[in-house]
Amino acid sequence: MSAVAAQYDALEALGVEVFSVSVDSHFVHKMWNDNELSKMVDGGVPFHMLSDQAGNIGRAYGVYDDQQGIELRGRFIIDPDGVIQAMEVMTPPVGRKLAETVRQIQAFQHVRATGGAEATPAGWEPGKLTLKPGADLVGKVWEVWKPSME
Amino acid sequence: MVARVGQKAPDFAAPAYYRGGFTNVKLSDYAGKWVMLCFYPGDFTFV
Repeated sequence: MSAVAAQYDALEALGVEVFSVSVDSHFVHKMWNDNELSKMVDGGVPFHMLSDQAGNIGRAYGVYDDQQGIELRGRFIIDPDGVIQAMEVMTPPVGRKLAETVRQIQAFQHVRATGGAEATPAGWEPGKLTLKPGADLVGKVWEVWKPSME
Repeated sequence: MVARVGQKAPDFAAPAYYRGGFTNVKLSDYAGKWVMLCFYPGDFTFV
């Protein structure tokens, strides 16, 4: 979570509210922030750290592991209408890469800003070419976009 | 209801630690904003 905290500015600039969730109590979150995370990130954790001790939120999102009593690494991007646009779930030993989440949020925000008129091809980043799905583009994507443009 | 892309995110309320204090967070209070929700195995783990 310290990696998310360290790059929080990028998310804040996109207007993203961040919530971390684990089965630890909010008291333990405070201890973790005070004793460890604040030594890795200036000023400590800048977002809300939620406590889900009964695992109910984790169950609703399909990331609660009954056998271990923990939550898997699940990352969800929720849009302003409260709709889940993206999810990624990983087993515990491998950490996330926040830059990819930032890229996905930028892409979803772009699509939303165009009212769904544009779609973003693989590897899209702000400034790169988007596609305008429609009858004229069927079978013609190759004319405007190639994997080498990713 | 289990979370799926393209579907409404399950609402929840939970106690939270936030910048030195304790508060409660309800997801539906953040309607109109983009939200990133990150679950992780536990505090004081290594990754």
